[in-house]
Amino acid sequence: MWPSLRRWWGVILILTAVSATVWLAATQQLVLYIHPRYVVFTVVMAAIALVLGVLSLAVRPMSTDEPETRRGWSRVVGGLALLVSGAVAISLVIVPPTTLSSATASQRDIVGSTVGSDSQNVDDVANADDELIASFTVVDWSSLLRQTSDPSFYTNKTADVVGFITASDDDPANIFYLSRFTVTCCAVDAQPTGVAVYAPDWANDFDVDEWVEITGSFEVNPSSRSDLPLVLVPETMTAVERPSEPYLY
Amino acid sequence: MAIGTLGVVGLLGLRAFTGQLGILGVPGLGQDLLTLATSVIIESLPFVVLGIVLSIVVQAWLPDNFLMRYLPHRPVFRRAAISLFGIALPVCECGNVPLARGLILKGFSVPEAMTFLLAAPIINPITIITTYQAFGLDDGILVGRILGGLAIANIVGWLFSLHPQPPAMLTDRFAAQCSSNSSHHRQSRSEKSLDIFMRESSVLMPAVFIGSLIAGAIQVAVPRDVLVSLGGNPLWSILAMMLLAFVISVCSSVDAFFILPFASTFMPGSIVTFLVFGPIIDIKMLAIMRTTFTAKVLVQLSLVVALMSAFIGLVINYVA
Repeated sequence: MWPSLRRWWGVILILTAVSATVWLAATQQLVLYIHPRYVVFTVVMAAIALVLGVLSLAVRPMSTDEPETRRGWSRVVGGLALLVSGAVAISLVIVPPTTLSSATASQRDIVGSTVGSDSQNVDDVANADDELIASFTVVDWSSLLRQTSDPSFYTNKTADVVGFITASDDDPANIFYLSRFTVTCCAVDAQPTGVAVYAPDWANDFDVDEWVEITGSFEVNPSSRSDLPLVLVPETMTAVERPSEPYLY
Repeated sequence: MAIGTLGVVGLLGLRAFTGQLGILGVPGLGQDLLTLATSVIIESLPFVVLGIVLSIVVQAWLPDNFLMRYLPHRPVFRRAAISLFGIALPVCECGNVPLARGLILKGFSVPEAMTFLLAAPIINPITIITTYQAFGLDDGILVGRILGGLAIANIVGWLFSLHPQPPAMLTDRFAAQCSSNSSHHRQSRSEKSLDIFMRESSVLMPAVFIGSLIAGAIQVAVPRDVLVSLGGNPLWSILAMMLLAFVISVCSSVDAFFILPFASTFMPGSIVTFLVFGPIIDIKMLAIMRTTFTAKVLVQLSLVVALMSAFIGLVINYVA
Protein backbone atom coordinates (compact mmCIF):
# COMPACT_ATOMS: atom_id res chain seq x y z
CA MET A 1 0.00 0.00 0.00
CA TRP A 2 2.70 2.51 1.11
CA PRO A 3 5.08 2.07 -1.88
CA SER A 4 2.14 2.11 -4.25
CA LEU A 5 0.73 5.32 -2.69
CA ARG A 6 4.16 6.97 -2.81
CA ARG A 7 4.54 6.02 -6.46
CA TRP A 8 1.19 7.55 -7.45
CA TRP A 9 1.19 10.47 -5.00
CA GLY A 10 3.11 12.81 -7.31
CA VAL A 11 0.68 12.20 -10.17
CA ILE A 12 -2.26 12.82 -7.82
CA LEU A 13 -0.69 16.10 -6.62
CA ILE A 14 0.21 17.25 -10.12
CA LEU A 15 -3.29 16.50 -11.44
CA THR A 16 -4.78 18.37 -8.47
CA ALA A 17 -2.58 21.42 -9.18
CA VAL A 18 -3.38 21.16 -12.89
CA SER A 19 -7.13 20.95 -12.24
CA ALA A 20 -7.00 24.02 -9.99
CA THR A 21 -4.90 25.91 -12.56
CA VAL A 22 -7.18 25.03 -15.48
CA TRP A 23 -10.30 26.01 -13.52
CA LEU A 24 -8.74 29.31 -12.45
CA ALA A 25 -7.74 30.03 -16.05
CA ALA A 26 -11.19 29.12 -17.37
CA THR A 27 -12.85 31.44 -14.85
CA GLN A 28 -10.25 34.17 -15.48
CA GLN A 29 -9.04 34.05 -11.88
CA LEU A 30 -5.50 32.89 -12.55
CA VAL A 31 -4.44 36.55 -12.32
CA LEU A 32 -5.20 36.39 -8.61
CA TYR A 33 -2.01 34.34 -8.30
CA ILE A 34 0.30 35.13 -11.23
CA HIS A 35 1.08 38.00 -13.60
CA PRO A 36 -1.08 37.92 -16.78
CA ARG A 37 2.03 37.52 -18.95
CA TYR A 38 2.52 33.99 -17.52
CA VAL A 39 -1.04 32.79 -18.00
CA VAL A 40 -0.56 31.26 -21.46
CA PHE A 41 2.72 29.55 -20.51
CA THR A 42 1.18 28.21 -17.30
CA VAL A 43 -1.89 26.84 -19.08
CA VAL A 44 0.21 25.22 -21.83
CA MET A 45 2.46 23.49 -19.30
CA ALA A 46 -0.60 22.48 -17.26
CA ALA A 47 -2.05 20.89 -20.41
CA ILE A 48 1.19 18.95 -20.97
CA ALA A 49 1.15 17.79 -17.34
CA LEU A 50 -2.50 16.80 -17.71
CA VAL A 51 -1.74 14.62 -20.75
CA LEU A 52 1.28 13.00 -19.07
CA GLY A 53 -0.66 12.44 -15.84
CA VAL A 54 -3.67 10.85 -17.53
CA LEU A 55 -1.40 8.72 -19.77
CA SER A 56 0.50 7.54 -16.68
CA LEU A 57 -2.74 6.41 -15.11
CA ALA A 58 -3.76 4.69 -18.34
CA VAL A 59 -0.47 2.94 -19.17
CA ARG A 60 0.66 2.29 -15.58
CA PRO A 61 4.32 1.90 -16.54
CA MET A 62 6.35 -0.73 -14.71
CA SER A 63 8.54 0.79 -12.00
CA THR A 64 12.30 0.47 -12.39
CA ASP A 65 12.94 1.53 -8.79
CA GLU A 66 14.18 -0.95 -6.25
CA PRO A 67 11.57 -1.65 -3.55
CA GLU A 68 12.11 0.86 -0.74
CA THR A 69 11.84 -0.06 2.91
CA ARG A 70 11.21 2.70 5.45
CA ARG A 71 11.44 2.29 9.17
CA GLY A 72 11.13 4.41 12.30
CA TRP A 73 11.48 8.17 11.90
CA SER A 74 11.85 7.91 8.15
CA ARG A 75 8.37 6.39 7.97
CA VAL A 76 6.95 9.07 10.30
CA VAL A 77 8.50 11.89 8.26
CA GLY A 78 7.24 10.31 5.05
CA GLY A 79 3.74 10.06 6.52
CA LEU A 80 3.84 13.68 7.68
CA ALA A 81 4.98 14.84 4.24
CA LEU A 82 2.10 12.96 2.71
CA LEU A 83 -0.39 14.49 5.16
CA VAL A 84 0.86 18.07 4.74
CA SER A 85 1.09 17.92 0.95
CA GLY A 86 -2.37 16.30 0.92
CA ALA A 87 -3.79 19.10 3.06
CA VAL A 88 -2.32 21.73 0.72
CA ALA A 89 -3.77 19.82 -2.25
CA ILE A 90 -7.22 19.81 -0.64
CA SER A 91 -6.98 23.55 0.00
CA LEU A 92 -6.20 24.04 -3.70
CA VAL A 93 -9.57 22.61 -4.69
CA ILE A 94 -11.85 23.74 -1.88
CA VAL A 95 -10.73 27.19 -0.66
CA PRO A 96 -12.33 29.95 -2.74
CA PRO A 97 -9.73 31.94 -4.70
CA THR A 98 -9.09 35.45 -3.46
CA THR A 99 -6.51 38.23 -3.41
CA LEU A 100 -4.08 39.11 -0.66
CA SER A 101 -5.73 41.14 2.08
CA SER A 102 -5.04 44.31 4.04
CA ALA A 103 -3.32 42.18 6.69
CA THR A 104 -0.48 41.53 4.25
CA ALA A 105 -0.55 45.15 3.02
CA SER A 106 0.09 46.31 6.58
CA GLN A 107 2.68 43.62 7.18
CA ARG A 108 4.55 44.64 4.01
CA ASP A 109 4.85 48.28 5.07
CA ILE A 110 2.29 50.09 2.96
CA VAL A 111 3.30 53.42 4.51
CA GLY A 112 6.98 53.17 3.59
CA SER A 113 6.39 51.51 0.23
CA THR A 114 8.41 52.86 -2.70
CA VAL A 115 6.51 50.83 -5.30
CA GLY A 116 6.07 52.69 -8.59
CA SER A 117 8.03 55.65 -7.30
CA ASP A 118 8.81 56.70 -10.88
CA SER A 119 5.45 55.80 -12.44
CA GLN A 120 4.61 59.54 -12.74
CA ASN A 121 6.75 62.64 -12.78
CA VAL A 122 5.59 65.93 -11.26
CA ASP A 123 6.97 67.96 -14.16
CA ASP A 124 5.03 65.89 -16.68
CA VAL A 125 1.85 65.91 -14.63
CA ALA A 126 1.87 69.62 -13.71
CA ASN A 127 -0.04 70.63 -16.83
CA ALA A 128 -1.60 67.28 -17.72
CA ASP A 129 -5.15 67.26 -19.08
CA ASP A 130 -8.13 65.91 -17.14
CA GLU A 131 -8.35 62.76 -19.24
CA LEU A 132 -4.83 61.69 -18.31
CA ILE A 133 -5.34 62.52 -14.65
CA ALA A 134 -8.58 60.56 -14.58
CA SER A 135 -6.64 57.47 -15.65
CA PHE A 136 -4.24 57.65 -12.68
CA THR A 137 -4.27 54.68 -10.32
CA VAL A 138 -3.38 54.54 -6.66
CA VAL A 139 0.22 53.82 -7.70
CA ASP A 140 0.41 56.98 -9.81
CA TRP A 141 -0.96 59.23 -7.05
CA SER A 142 1.26 57.58 -4.48
CA SER A 143 4.24 58.26 -6.75
CA LEU A 144 3.33 61.95 -7.03
CA LEU A 145 2.75 62.29 -3.28
CA ARG A 146 6.25 61.00 -2.62
CA GLN A 147 7.66 63.65 -4.97
CA THR A 148 5.78 66.70 -3.74
CA SER A 149 3.54 67.62 -0.85
CA ASP A 150 2.86 71.12 -2.18
CA PRO A 151 -0.97 71.48 -1.97
CA SER A 152 -1.03 73.87 -4.94
CA PHE A 153 0.27 71.09 -7.23
CA TYR A 154 -2.91 69.08 -6.57
CA THR A 155 -5.35 71.98 -7.04
CA ASN A 156 -7.90 71.26 -9.79
CA LYS A 157 -6.63 67.69 -10.11
CA THR A 158 -9.48 65.31 -9.27
CA ALA A 159 -8.55 61.76 -8.36
CA ASP A 160 -10.83 58.86 -9.31
CA VAL A 161 -9.31 55.72 -7.84
CA VAL A 162 -10.28 52.19 -6.86
CA GLY A 163 -8.69 50.12 -4.11
CA PHE A 164 -9.31 48.18 -0.94
CA ILE A 165 -9.34 49.59 2.57
CA THR A 166 -6.35 49.12 4.84
CA ALA A 167 -6.64 50.60 8.33
CA SER A 168 -4.23 53.35 9.38
CA ASP A 169 -2.28 53.06 12.63
CA ASP A 170 -2.03 56.81 13.28
CA ASP A 171 -5.66 57.87 13.19
CA PRO A 172 -7.69 54.71 12.57
CA ALA A 173 -11.07 56.39 13.19
CA ASN A 174 -10.63 59.02 10.48
CA ILE A 175 -7.93 57.85 8.07
CA PHE A 176 -7.46 54.69 6.05
CA TYR A 177 -5.26 53.72 3.12
CA LEU A 178 -6.85 53.09 -0.25
CA SER A 179 -4.53 50.26 -1.29
CA ARG A 180 -3.48 48.15 -4.23
CA PHE A 181 -0.83 45.49 -4.67
CA THR A 182 1.60 45.59 -7.58
CA VAL A 183 2.87 42.28 -8.88
CA THR A 184 5.92 41.46 -11.04
CA CYS A 185 5.62 37.67 -11.17
CA CYS A 186 3.11 36.30 -8.72
CA ALA A 187 1.30 37.12 -5.50
CA VAL A 188 4.40 36.13 -3.55
CA ASP A 189 6.20 39.27 -4.68
CA ALA A 190 3.15 41.54 -4.34
CA GLN A 191 4.07 44.89 -2.89
CA PRO A 192 1.44 47.20 -1.45
CA THR A 193 1.02 50.87 -2.11
CA GLY A 194 -1.72 53.27 -1.16
CA VAL A 195 -2.92 56.80 -0.61
CA ALA A 196 -4.18 58.07 2.73
CA VAL A 197 -7.89 58.93 2.72
CA TYR A 198 -9.44 61.27 5.27
CA ALA A 199 -13.01 60.10 5.94
CA PRO A 200 -14.21 60.65 9.53
CA ASP A 201 -15.88 57.56 11.03
CA TRP A 202 -15.43 55.61 7.80
CA ALA A 203 -15.79 52.34 9.69
CA ASN A 204 -19.51 53.08 10.20
CA ASP A 205 -20.11 52.55 6.48
CA PHE A 206 -17.23 50.45 5.24
CA ASP A 207 -15.17 47.46 6.31
CA VAL A 208 -11.45 46.80 6.19
CA ASP A 209 -10.61 44.93 2.94
CA GLU A 210 -13.74 46.26 1.23
CA TRP A 211 -13.18 47.56 -2.31
CA VAL A 212 -14.27 51.16 -2.84
CA GLU A 213 -14.13 53.80 -5.57
CA ILE A 214 -13.29 57.30 -4.41
CA THR A 215 -13.55 60.57 -6.25
CA GLY A 216 -11.93 63.51 -4.51
CA SER A 217 -8.98 65.82 -4.21
CA PHE A 218 -5.75 65.93 -2.23
CA GLU A 219 -5.78 68.49 0.58
CA VAL A 220 -3.82 69.39 3.69
CA ASN A 221 -4.35 66.69 6.30
CA PRO A 222 -6.94 67.92 8.87
CA SER A 223 -6.14 65.11 11.31
CA SER A 224 -4.24 66.16 14.41
CA ARG A 225 -3.15 62.57 15.15
CA SER A 226 -1.51 61.88 11.79
CA ASP A 227 1.61 63.60 10.48
CA LEU A 228 0.90 62.91 6.81
CA PRO A 229 1.06 66.26 4.96
CA LEU A 230 -1.66 65.53 2.38
CA VAL A 231 -4.64 63.20 2.29
CA LEU A 232 -7.32 62.35 -0.24
CA VAL A 233 -10.59 63.95 0.82
CA PRO A 234 -13.49 62.12 -0.85
CA GLU A 235 -16.35 63.84 -2.63
CA THR A 236 -17.91 60.46 -3.32
CA MET A 237 -17.03 57.07 -1.90
CA THR A 238 -18.91 53.97 -3.02
CA ALA A 239 -18.43 50.26 -2.46
CA VAL A 240 -17.54 48.39 -5.66
CA GLU A 241 -16.89 44.81 -6.70
CA ARG A 242 -13.29 43.61 -6.66
CA PRO A 243 -11.83 44.36 -10.14
CA SER A 244 -11.27 41.38 -12.43
CA GLU A 245 -7.56 42.23 -12.28
CA PRO A 246 -7.12 43.34 -8.67
CA TYR A 247 -3.35 43.69 -8.86
CA LEU A 248 -1.53 46.43 -10.76
CA TYR A 249 1.46 45.63 -12.97
CA MET B 1 -7.40 6.29 -19.18
CA ALA B 2 -10.92 6.29 -17.77
CA ILE B 3 -9.67 6.57 -14.16
CA GLY B 4 -7.44 9.54 -14.96
CA THR B 5 -10.08 11.35 -16.96
CA LEU B 6 -12.75 10.73 -14.33
CA GLY B 7 -10.39 11.89 -11.60
CA VAL B 8 -9.60 15.16 -13.37
CA VAL B 9 -13.27 15.77 -14.20
CA GLY B 10 -14.11 15.11 -10.54
CA LEU B 11 -11.46 17.56 -9.33
CA LEU B 12 -12.65 20.21 -11.78
CA GLY B 13 -16.24 19.67 -10.65
CA LEU B 14 -15.26 19.93 -6.98
CA ARG B 15 -13.26 23.10 -7.70
CA ALA B 16 -16.15 24.65 -9.62
CA PHE B 17 -18.59 23.78 -6.81
CA THR B 18 -16.45 25.04 -3.91
CA GLY B 19 -15.43 28.14 -5.87
CA GLN B 20 -18.98 29.40 -5.53
CA LEU B 21 -19.18 28.79 -1.79
CA GLY B 22 -18.26 31.65 0.48
CA ILE B 23 -18.37 29.56 3.64
CA LEU B 24 -14.95 28.00 3.15
CA GLY B 25 -13.12 31.32 3.21
CA VAL B 26 -10.41 31.71 5.84
CA PRO B 27 -9.99 35.10 7.51
CA GLY B 28 -7.01 37.49 7.48
CA LEU B 29 -3.47 36.20 7.47
CA GLY B 30 -4.66 32.57 7.33
CA GLN B 31 -6.28 33.30 3.98
CA ASP B 32 -3.18 35.18 2.84
CA LEU B 33 -1.00 32.21 3.80
CA LEU B 34 -3.11 29.96 1.55
CA THR B 35 -3.11 32.57 -1.24
CA LEU B 36 0.69 32.81 -1.07
CA ALA B 37 1.14 29.03 -0.95
CA THR B 38 -1.22 28.61 -3.92
CA SER B 39 0.66 31.33 -5.77
CA VAL B 40 4.00 29.55 -5.25
CA ILE B 41 2.52 26.26 -6.49
CA ILE B 42 0.91 27.78 -9.58
CA GLU B 43 4.03 29.81 -10.38
CA SER B 44 6.32 26.80 -9.91
CA LEU B 45 4.14 24.20 -11.65
CA PRO B 46 5.00 25.07 -15.29
CA PHE B 47 8.73 25.18 -14.54
CA VAL B 48 8.64 21.90 -12.63
CA VAL B 49 6.73 20.28 -15.51
CA LEU B 50 9.18 21.78 -18.04
CA GLY B 51 12.09 20.50 -15.96
CA ILE B 52 10.57 17.01 -15.81
CA VAL B 53 9.96 17.04 -19.58
CA LEU B 54 13.59 18.07 -20.22
CA SER B 55 14.71 15.38 -17.79
CA ILE B 56 12.64 12.85 -19.76
CA VAL B 57 14.32 14.01 -22.98
CA VAL B 58 17.78 13.65 -21.44
CA GLN B 59 17.12 10.26 -19.84
CA ALA B 60 14.89 8.52 -22.36
CA TRP B 61 15.41 10.10 -25.73
CA LEU B 62 18.98 11.42 -26.05
CA PRO B 63 21.69 8.87 -26.97
CA ASP B 64 23.75 7.81 -23.95
CA ASN B 65 26.89 9.76 -24.82
CA PHE B 66 25.25 12.69 -26.55
CA LEU B 67 26.14 15.28 -23.88
CA MET B 68 29.31 13.60 -22.65
CA ARG B 69 31.09 13.43 -25.98
CA TYR B 70 31.30 17.19 -26.42
CA LEU B 71 32.51 18.02 -22.92
CA PRO B 72 36.18 18.60 -22.01
CA HIS B 73 37.87 15.78 -20.09
CA ARG B 74 39.61 17.88 -17.44
CA PRO B 75 37.16 18.29 -14.53
CA VAL B 76 37.70 22.05 -14.13
CA PHE B 77 37.00 22.83 -17.77
CA ARG B 78 34.24 20.25 -17.85
CA ARG B 79 32.42 21.92 -14.94
CA ALA B 80 33.02 25.33 -16.54
CA ALA B 81 31.35 24.08 -19.72
CA ILE B 82 28.48 22.53 -17.74
CA SER B 83 27.95 25.81 -15.88
CA LEU B 84 27.12 27.38 -19.25
CA PHE B 85 24.38 24.85 -20.12
CA GLY B 86 21.82 27.23 -18.64
CA ILE B 87 22.30 29.72 -21.48
CA ALA B 88 20.29 27.40 -23.70
CA LEU B 89 17.67 26.52 -21.07
CA PRO B 90 15.05 29.12 -20.10
CA VAL B 91 14.12 27.18 -16.96
CA CYS B 92 13.91 28.61 -13.47
CA GLU B 93 15.59 27.11 -10.45
CA CYS B 94 12.86 24.67 -9.42
CA GLY B 95 12.68 23.27 -12.96
CA ASN B 96 16.43 22.69 -12.98
CA VAL B 97 16.26 20.20 -10.11
CA PRO B 98 14.60 17.41 -12.14
CA LEU B 99 16.98 18.19 -15.00
CA ALA B 100 19.99 17.97 -12.67
CA ARG B 101 18.65 14.65 -11.37
CA GLY B 102 18.35 13.48 -14.97
CA LEU B 103 21.96 14.48 -15.63
CA ILE B 104 23.15 12.44 -12.64
CA LEU B 105 21.11 9.46 -13.81
CA LYS B 106 22.70 9.91 -17.23
CA GLY B 107 26.20 9.62 -15.80
CA PHE B 108 27.19 13.14 -14.73
CA SER B 109 28.98 13.30 -11.38
CA VAL B 110 27.23 14.89 -8.40
CA PRO B 111 29.53 17.99 -8.36
CA GLU B 112 28.96 18.45 -12.11
CA ALA B 113 25.19 18.30 -11.72
CA MET B 114 25.42 20.70 -8.79
CA THR B 115 27.48 23.13 -10.86
CA PHE B 116 24.74 23.08 -13.49
CA LEU B 117 22.01 23.45 -10.87
CA LEU B 118 23.61 26.52 -9.30
CA ALA B 119 24.58 28.36 -12.49
CA ALA B 120 21.63 27.62 -14.77
CA PRO B 121 18.94 29.80 -13.16
CA ILE B 122 21.29 32.81 -13.10
CA ILE B 123 22.62 32.65 -16.63
CA ASN B 124 19.46 31.52 -18.38
CA PRO B 125 18.55 33.98 -21.14
CA ILE B 126 15.30 35.19 -19.56
CA THR B 127 17.07 35.99 -16.30
CA ILE B 128 19.77 37.95 -18.10
CA ILE B 129 17.25 39.91 -20.19
CA THR B 130 15.02 40.79 -17.23
CA THR B 131 18.01 41.81 -15.11
CA TYR B 132 19.19 44.05 -17.97
CA GLN B 133 15.68 45.50 -18.35
CA ALA B 134 15.54 46.28 -14.65
CA PHE B 135 19.04 47.64 -14.04
CA GLY B 136 20.74 48.09 -17.42
CA LEU B 137 24.48 48.11 -16.88
CA ASP B 138 24.27 50.43 -13.86
CA ASP B 139 26.54 49.81 -10.85
CA GLY B 140 27.77 46.48 -12.23
CA ILE B 141 24.63 44.70 -11.08
CA LEU B 142 24.12 42.63 -14.25
CA VAL B 143 27.80 41.81 -14.67
CA GLY B 144 28.15 41.09 -10.95
CA ARG B 145 25.19 38.73 -11.11
CA ILE B 146 26.42 36.73 -14.12
CA LEU B 147 30.07 36.51 -13.08
CA GLY B 148 29.16 36.00 -9.42
CA GLY B 149 26.73 33.19 -10.27
CA LEU B 150 29.26 31.43 -12.51
CA ALA B 151 32.02 31.83 -9.91
CA ILE B 152 29.88 30.44 -7.10
CA ALA B 153 28.69 27.49 -9.22
CA ASN B 154 32.21 26.53 -10.30
CA ILE B 155 33.79 27.00 -6.88
CA VAL B 156 31.03 25.01 -5.17
CA GLY B 157 31.40 22.32 -7.85
CA TRP B 158 35.14 22.20 -7.20
CA LEU B 159 34.65 22.07 -3.42
CA PHE B 160 32.20 19.19 -3.64
CA SER B 161 34.45 17.39 -6.14
CA LEU B 162 36.91 17.02 -3.24
CA HIS B 163 34.36 14.82 -1.44
CA PRO B 164 35.82 11.31 -1.17
CA GLN B 165 32.49 9.66 -1.96
CA PRO B 166 30.29 11.92 -4.10
CA PRO B 167 27.35 9.45 -4.19
CA ALA B 168 27.16 9.83 -0.38
CA MET B 169 25.94 13.39 -0.99
CA LEU B 170 22.71 11.99 -2.40
CA THR B 171 19.66 10.93 -0.44
CA ASP B 172 19.35 7.18 0.04
CA ARG B 173 16.31 7.08 -2.18
CA PHE B 174 17.94 8.88 -5.09
CA ALA B 175 21.21 6.97 -4.67
CA ALA B 176 19.20 3.73 -4.89
CA GLN B 177 17.46 5.09 -7.96
CA CYS B 178 20.84 5.84 -9.56
CA SER B 179 21.95 2.27 -8.88
CA SER B 180 18.79 0.71 -10.27
CA ASN B 181 18.97 3.01 -13.29
CA SER B 182 22.29 1.51 -14.30
CA SER B 183 20.81 -1.97 -14.45
CA HIS B 184 18.88 -2.96 -17.52
CA HIS B 185 15.09 -2.90 -17.57
CA ARG B 186 13.01 -3.72 -20.57
CA GLN B 187 10.97 -0.60 -21.23
CA SER B 188 9.95 1.12 -24.41
CA ARG B 189 10.96 4.79 -24.59
CA SER B 190 7.35 5.86 -24.14
CA GLU B 191 6.93 3.65 -21.10
CA LYS B 192 10.23 4.88 -19.69
CA SER B 193 9.11 8.48 -20.26
CA LEU B 194 5.93 7.93 -18.27
CA ASP B 195 7.87 6.07 -15.58
CA ILE B 196 10.24 9.06 -15.25
CA PHE B 197 7.25 11.44 -15.14
CA MET B 198 5.67 9.44 -12.30
CA ARG B 199 8.94 9.06 -10.40
CA GLU B 200 10.00 12.70 -10.66
CA SER B 201 6.54 14.04 -9.81
CA SER B 202 6.30 11.72 -6.80
CA VAL B 203 9.61 13.12 -5.55
CA LEU B 204 9.21 16.78 -6.47
CA MET B 205 5.54 17.61 -6.05
CA PRO B 206 5.31 16.89 -2.28
CA ALA B 207 8.41 19.09 -1.87
CA VAL B 208 6.82 21.88 -3.92
CA PHE B 209 3.59 21.68 -1.91
CA ILE B 210 5.33 21.61 1.49
CA GLY B 211 7.88 24.26 0.45
CA SER B 212 5.08 26.55 -0.74
CA LEU B 213 3.28 26.21 2.58
CA ILE B 214 6.43 27.01 4.57
CA ALA B 215 7.28 29.94 2.27
CA GLY B 216 3.75 31.32 2.69
CA ALA B 217 3.85 30.89 6.47
CA ILE B 218 7.19 32.65 6.85
CA GLN B 219 6.11 35.47 4.55
CA VAL B 220 3.09 36.27 6.70
CA ALA B 221 5.16 35.94 9.88
CA VAL B 222 8.18 38.15 9.02
CA PRO B 223 7.37 41.88 8.73
CA ARG B 224 9.13 43.20 5.64
CA ASP B 225 9.74 46.67 7.06
CA VAL B 226 12.20 45.14 9.53
CA LEU B 227 14.35 44.01 6.60
CA VAL B 228 13.97 47.24 4.64
CA SER B 229 15.08 49.33 7.63
CA LEU B 230 18.53 47.72 7.33
CA GLY B 231 19.07 48.90 3.75
CA GLY B 232 21.66 51.66 4.19
CA ASN B 233 24.38 49.71 6.00
CA PRO B 234 26.95 47.92 3.76
CA LEU B 235 27.00 44.76 5.88
CA TRP B 236 23.51 44.63 7.38
CA SER B 237 21.91 45.41 4.04
CA ILE B 238 23.61 42.34 2.57
CA LEU B 239 22.36 40.12 5.36
CA ALA B 240 18.88 41.62 5.01
CA MET B 241 18.89 40.95 1.28
CA MET B 242 19.91 37.32 1.79
CA LEU B 243 17.15 36.88 4.35
CA LEU B 244 14.65 38.51 2.01
CA ALA B 245 15.75 36.27 -0.89
CA PHE B 246 15.50 33.22 1.37
CA VAL B 247 11.98 34.10 2.50
CA ILE B 248 10.53 35.43 -0.73
CA SER B 249 11.47 32.37 -2.85
CA VAL B 250 10.71 34.27 -6.05
CA CYS B 251 11.56 32.89 -9.48
CA SER B 252 14.99 33.90 -10.85
CA SER B 253 13.57 35.07 -14.17
CA VAL B 254 11.66 37.92 -12.51
CA ASP B 255 13.48 38.56 -9.24
CA ALA B 256 15.20 41.61 -10.78
CA PHE B 257 11.84 43.33 -11.22
CA PHE B 258 10.86 42.40 -7.69
CA ILE B 259 13.98 43.92 -6.17
CA LEU B 260 14.02 46.99 -8.42
CA PRO B 261 11.90 49.16 -6.05
CA PHE B 262 14.42 48.41 -3.28
CA ALA B 263 17.32 49.75 -5.37
CA SER B 264 16.87 53.24 -3.97
CA THR B 265 17.06 51.94 -0.40
CA PHE B 266 19.70 49.22 -0.68
CA MET B 267 23.29 49.42 -1.90
CA PRO B 268 24.20 47.88 -5.32
CA GLY B 269 26.26 45.07 -3.82
CA SER B 270 23.33 44.10 -1.62
CA ILE B 271 21.11 43.92 -4.70
CA VAL B 272 23.67 41.64 -6.38
CA THR B 273 23.74 39.47 -3.28
CA PHE B 274 19.96 39.11 -3.53
CA LEU B 275 20.18 38.25 -7.23
CA VAL B 276 22.96 35.69 -6.75
CA PHE B 277 21.86 34.08 -3.48
CA GLY B 278 18.10 33.88 -4.15
CA PRO B 279 18.15 31.61 -7.22
CA ILE B 280 20.32 29.09 -5.37
CA ILE B 281 19.12 29.13 -1.78
CA ASP B 282 15.58 29.81 -0.64
CA ILE B 283 12.87 27.99 1.26
CA LYS B 284 11.25 26.49 -1.80
CA MET B 285 14.56 25.44 -3.37
CA LEU B 286 15.82 23.81 -0.17
CA ALA B 287 12.61 21.78 0.03
CA ILE B 288 12.99 20.69 -3.60
CA MET B 289 16.75 20.06 -3.41
CA ARG B 290 16.19 17.92 -0.30
CA THR B 291 14.65 15.35 -2.65
CA THR B 292 18.12 14.79 -4.07
CA PHE B 293 20.83 15.87 -1.62
CA THR B 294 21.34 15.02 2.05
CA ALA B 295 20.56 17.60 4.74
CA LYS B 296 24.28 17.85 5.58
CA VAL B 297 25.13 18.74 1.97
CA LEU B 298 22.39 21.36 1.87
CA VAL B 299 23.67 22.98 5.08
CA GLN B 300 27.21 23.07 3.66
CA LEU B 301 25.91 24.39 0.34
CA SER B 302 23.86 27.10 2.05
CA LEU B 303 26.82 28.26 4.14
CA VAL B 304 29.26 28.36 1.23
CA VAL B 305 26.81 30.13 -1.09
CA ALA B 306 25.86 32.61 1.65
CA LEU B 307 29.50 33.45 2.38
CA MET B 308 30.40 33.83 -1.29
CA SER B 309 27.28 35.89 -2.07
CA ALA B 310 28.02 38.15 0.88
CA PHE B 311 31.65 38.52 -0.21
CA ILE B 312 30.63 39.47 -3.76
CA GLY B 313 28.11 41.96 -2.40
CA LEU B 314 30.62 43.51 0.00
CA VAL B 315 33.23 43.94 -2.74
CA ILE B 316 30.68 45.67 -4.98
CA ASN B 317 29.40 47.83 -2.10
CA TYR B 318 32.87 49.12 -1.39
CA VAL B 319 34.10 49.35 -4.99
CA ALA B 320 31.04 50.48 -6.98
